[in-house]
Amino acid sequence: MLNYIWLALIAIGVLTAVGIDVRNEIVNPYRNGEILEGEFVPVKQPGALRSEWEGTLVIEGNAFRSFYHTAALVDTVKQMSVLDTTRNTAQLTLVLDGSSPQVWQEMGKSATTVNKLEATLRGIQWADGHTSAHLKFVLEPIRFVRLRAVTQAAFEYAGVAVTIAIGLIGVMAFWLGIMSVAEEAGILKIIARLLAPVMRRLFPDVPSDHPAISAMIMNIAANMLGLSNAATPLGLKAMEELDKLNPKAGTATNAMVTFLAINTGGLILIPATALAVRSAAGSTNPGIIIGTSIVGAGCATLAGIAASKILERLPRYRRAMEVPHE
Amino acid sequence: MSDLFRSLITALAVILIPLVIVLFLAWGAAKKVKVYECFVEGAKEGFTTAVRIIPYLVAMLVAIGIFRASGAMDVLVGVLSPVTNLVGMPPETLPMAIMRPLSGSASLGIMTELMKVHGPDSLIGILASTMYGSSETTFYVLAVYFGAVGVKNSRHAVPTGLIADVVGMLAAVWIVRVVLG
Repeated sequence: MLNYIWLALIAIGVLTAVGIDVRNEIVNPYRNGEILEGEFVPVKQPGALRSEWEGTLVIEGNAFRSFYHTAALVDTVKQMSVLDTTRNTAQLTLVLDGSSPQVWQEMGKSATTVNKLEATLRGIQWADGHTSAHLKFVLEPIRFVRLRAVTQAAFEYAGVAVTIAIGLIGVMAFWLGIMSVAEEAGILKIIARLLAPVMRRLFPDVPSDHPAISAMIMNIAANMLGLSNAATPLGLKAMEELDKLNPKAGTATNAMVTFLAINTGGLILIPATALAVRSAAGSTNPGIIIGTSIVGAGCATLAGIAASKILERLPRYRRAMEVPHE
Repeated sequence: MSDLFRSLITALAVILIPLVIVLFLAWGAAKKVKVYECFVEGAKEGFTTAVRIIPYLVAMLVAIGIFRASGAMDVLVGVLSPVTNLVGMPPETLPMAIMRPLSGSASLGIMTELMKVHGPDSLIGILASTMYGSSETTFYVLAVYFGAVGVKNSRHAVPTGLIADVVGMLAAVWIVRVVLG
């Protein structure tokens, strides 16, 4: 099943990207090759060191909106830009930042130089004394925005995956060290014995004094308290212990799936991240979600446990667990 | 009531880790365990475990990254919104429900955005934060946990996780509607 989901994510992603880019070729939302007009108000004149004019490109809000067929922008566009008149065909460069119009910011991501839009001038009329100029220009064509974004995301996330894994090494080593002392001292057995009645129901295949039981208990406790730095290493330790009981390496056991169902249910007593975001957004009652989250995650966890217990009986999943006789 | 509960849990979360560390090590020392050597011996495995999950994590995150960047989300929202309207889920929160099992950072971004636009105490703001708190990043957990033990055949883990996610999202809609009246 993971095979299909994985393939579906990639296939849907790439196909949607192709679809959107093909549609953009027809609809031309970025107005490739069409002439836009605006007033250029210089701030810095060309001097001995530099040959370009620096200034603000001003375009009426209405004109801008009708050019890009958008309802999003109301204000007059004021865009920092550089005008180079020394070359054969004069060039205008829009230097984009957070205050630039949404469309241009979007286009800037796929431009030749990221966050800069180059334009070829088709006409320039200076007012007296070079205080302003009326410009007619064509922006560089923007194509295949989505496909570019997809490629970039693929490489970026491959890097992120390694960063996450490397970041785990330290806490992982720390908790495995602590757990190893706890195991040697017999603490894990004591923890396992305390919750044995519950754990025996949830994980009937795991002997109740097995180290996997206490690792799972500690992982679940850390998760509920929102201590993810401790929860992940403990959870991985639990998986490794569960794998020691696995008759068929490389295949998930019933106990592993039930354990993951509890983990992905995400029951947490204080949803700290959501609370922080709510407070930052100026909520008058950030704590209202504590109760609702516990109900939501509680339902998810119970449904997950029930689903894992029911699905593990299905013939197709039972067959996957059968060990071939030698 | 909720304030007392909150400060209690917060205090527990702060105290617990130092307490566990001291308790475990002291207990070990009392039982004549060579704590330092034992710790180092166990810690050695940390590196291999972390490195072992890399290929699984790369595979999963790349697929999720491609899906996120492609704009497929908007298409999916359009397809699914008639269905979710039936259960009373506002269409604005649908991206949240879809993204939650896939990516923690993306759903955090969506939640922040929804609160900025609709206000944190609106129905949408409360629902979005409840949804965020009602589930874990299922596919990330699957990739990391199964990666650590080299499981390739996940059997019923994915349907189980998805059922839990759908129930969690529906329960979030239901409880928020009940609480807000």
